[in-house]
Amino acid sequence: MPDAAAAAPSKESASAALAFLTEMSPDLRGAAILGAEGEVLAATDEAPERWREDAATLFAAADAAEGVPVEQVHIATEQGEVFAIRNEGLAAVSVTDRFALASLMLYDMRSALRELATPSLGPSGGPKSRREET
Amino acid sequence: MPPKPHRVLLDRVSGYADEAAAFMRRRRVARRPFARLYYPHGRSADHAQDSRSGAELFVAAGRLIEVAGEKKR
Repeated sequence: MPDAAAAAPSKESASAALAFLTEMSPDLRGAAILGAEGEVLAATDEAPERWREDAATLFAAADAAEGVPVEQVHIATEQGEVFAIRNEGLAAVSVTDRFALASLMLYDMRSALRELATPSLGPSGGPKSRREET
Repeated sequence: MPPKPHRVLLDRVSGYADEAAAFMRRRRVARRPFARLYYPHGRSADHAQDSRSGAELFVAAGRLIEVAGEKKR
């Protein structure tokens, strides 16, 4: 589960961040943003409970691998790629097509979480993406 | 006669693009499934698919891929 407790962002702002992430990432199939307790703040489809359970399973497996809480997870399979990240007491999980650019994906997810945790950091309307900067 | 300067530039850019395309082609063919975990301070660790931790990670990833479904185009 996400590492530190933080003031929970609203579901509306989480949905906006997720929409921005979806727009920025053409390879994205689905994603979810989770709060400090592992609850789903926003998800790209109508199964938030599944996202909560499966994200919790993923983080539990990742933490158990070496007995240390992980910061980021990247798993590439034949069916697609999974990215998960913890930042600022929040967590995000994304599923993309194969061969998505990992560094950009993780950067955008981290930016989205940072923006959610401290809304004053980014421009209004969503986190600033490296893809926008370039 | 030396080639025109813009030709030199075009050839160089085309060369880089060809190399990048070849690299991506090989990456697509050669890439195998992997599970990589990143820890604070930049440390990372790979977990093989046939290890216990790796198998758990791949199962969890498979379930998430299932939830996400196919891409809506």
